Amino acid sequence: MTVNPKVNPKKLRPYDQPPKRRRSLIPSAPDSAAIGFLVAAVLWLALATGIGMLAAYLRFAPFEVIYPLGFFGLNLELNPARVDQAFMNAIVYGWLTNAGFAAATFIAPRLSGRRLVAEPILVLAVLLWNATVFGGIAALYVFDSGANSALTSFPWFVQGGLATGALIVALAFVATVAPAIRSAYVSLWFAGIGLLSLAGLTGLSAAMGLADFIIGLDDAIVALGSLFIGTAVILMWLLPMAYAVLYYLVPLVAGRPLESAGLAALAFVSWLLVAPVASLSLVVDTRIPYFVTSLAGAATIALLLPAALTVVNLVLTVRGRWPLFFGTGPIAFVAVAMAFLIASGMLDAIGTLPSVRAFVGGTDWGRGVLVWNLLGMMTLAALAFIAHALPRLLRRDWGSSRLSAAQLWCVFAGATIAGIALMGAGMAEGSFRAQGADAEALAAGLYGYQLVAFAGFALVALGGLAALVNVFLAYTTGEPADYVVPGQATAAATGH
Amino acid sequence: MTVQTPIESRSSGIPPWALVLTVLVLAMAGAFVVTNLVGENPPVGIPGASSGPAGSAAPDPDIGQALTESAVPACASCHGPDLGGSGSFPSLHGVADGPVSENLQDLAAEHPDNWAELWIAGEPGGPTDGIDRGGMPVFSEQFSPEQIASIVAYLETLP
Repeated sequence: MTVNPKVNPKKLRPYDQPPKRRRSLIPSAPDSAAIGFLVAAVLWLALATGIGMLAAYLRFAPFEVIYPLGFFGLNLELNPARVDQAFMNAIVYGWLTNAGFAAATFIAPRLSGRRLVAEPILVLAVLLWNATVFGGIAALYVFDSGANSALTSFPWFVQGGLATGALIVALAFVATVAPAIRSAYVSLWFAGIGLLSLAGLTGLSAAMGLADFIIGLDDAIVALGSLFIGTAVILMWLLPMAYAVLYYLVPLVAGRPLESAGLAALAFVSWLLVAPVASLSLVVDTRIPYFVTSLAGAATIALLLPAALTVVNLVLTVRGRWPLFFGTGPIAFVAVAMAFLIASGMLDAIGTLPSVRAFVGGTDWGRGVLVWNLLGMMTLAALAFIAHALPRLLRRDWGSSRLSAAQLWCVFAGATIAGIALMGAGMAEGSFRAQGADAEALAAGLYGYQLVAFAGFALVALGGLAALVNVFLAYTTGEPADYVVPGQATAAATGH
Repeated sequence: MTVQTPIESRSSGIPPWALVLTVLVLAMAGAFVVTNLVGENPPVGIPGASSGPAGSAAPDPDIGQALTESAVPACASCHGPDLGGSGSFPSLHGVADGPVSENLQDLAAEHPDNWAELWIAGEPGGPTDGIDRGGMPVFSEQFSPEQIASIVAYLETLP
């Protein structure tokens, strides 16, 4: 408030007072959407990893709770299958997608040198997306998801809400970067295609749910469509966003130019060509030609190419600044994310071999590889982005390096342990089956693996909690720091 | 419009080793396809299939036995440790010869081939509507029709 020194404020009458400054309900300041998505992401991380811990517990100590809601004969049902679905949705649509949206809205203005288009509408998209995901997860405990797998298990109208939110973010992103698209940095290409894919896939899921609601689709068709969409959301949305973040962070944080734009372009093109085909890898049924399944398996193997090209390119970029890998800054998170990227890519490739499928198909093996993908590679890439972006968004430095180290080590150790335990459980189950062991022996044999997996999930949840506390402390007690605001004259000079 | 390029690149070309790596990976993927041209896909597992081979249309008593133990609640928790009955909960032995409970006689008469599947599933709006379930859960929410068929196949092996 501006005060005229010649006027005694105590003697001001109400009509003499200067008008109060009104705050807009929907802020449109630079980065307001990125801040919204990022804060939502961190809250989802803590919630999702907590649900993951409960899901892991229910695998070795299952119980069921049924609570009548008192209207339309509906019940609130908590059982292992529903908690499992809630965990997948909270991780993918809650944590990783919010982090992906935050990354897209953060890097678009910085790499294009333009203010983000339609920032107030994007702030509404933050509310729409998160209310929809929350409502969808609540609905999972009430409504039956039929033949759908986890990532299409929300009711069709909830999927419609997701599609709308994703479309808003995708259109704003494309409109922001379009004028500079011909010579755009590779991160913008990965993020742009990823966002458009997410909007298309959630739209497809909503359309499939609506068609099933109106005309009643065959269960096998729903199951196959659902398996394609679920895999494609990971390979066509989360994976490219992870690449976008890695390519954006490493040169900036290392303070060195990207080793090779050609390698990055080759990685992008190879990912773009093989990821849609690899998304068919779980679409397996008697009515699907075997050739298509084989082609999808080959594409899954070929996904190793963009992963290897990216890791080599980024490691060469950091060359000479190796100590960055061993600190608690973004590059340390990136290093672990890249290790998970290669490891999970190789395991996915091995998992497509027919003999391996026959041995571990339908066991916890696939779940273990997924844990390395979602909680290992993608979560650590997202945490790397937060470590870099949050101080720039809040203009405050991180308060505690111990909490940053706790995030890194808890998530790294937890994801590693949980993934190994689940893959071990898968191999043990395959072995038990081959020996013709009965169900009792099988359950007893897998108990130890599931207990260790639970411990791993608990560690990841601890890492999620550390991230939440760290963000809170940065906001409340972090030292003020100056960073360039995108859209201002100096933005292009520094890029961050 | 000025194009902003805040992240520079050291070079724009593709190094030869990357081309060799690309050819190697593509050759590996091609070899995979060529060696997997002939085969058969299993039926899709419904619901919640995580991979192709997980589901199977043929009822499997071994899978059925595992499902009776992983069911929530497990069958043995009401029907006794050996599924031989406990308190008011009937024995599950001899299912192959027909139901022992009086409330299921009509259902078995109308659906002699699949009364057990219908009873375990308990689909709302299905033929079991109106029959007192006596605490029996609706298992169609947990298991697919194929899995329920496997459970019945297992129960039919009990003497």
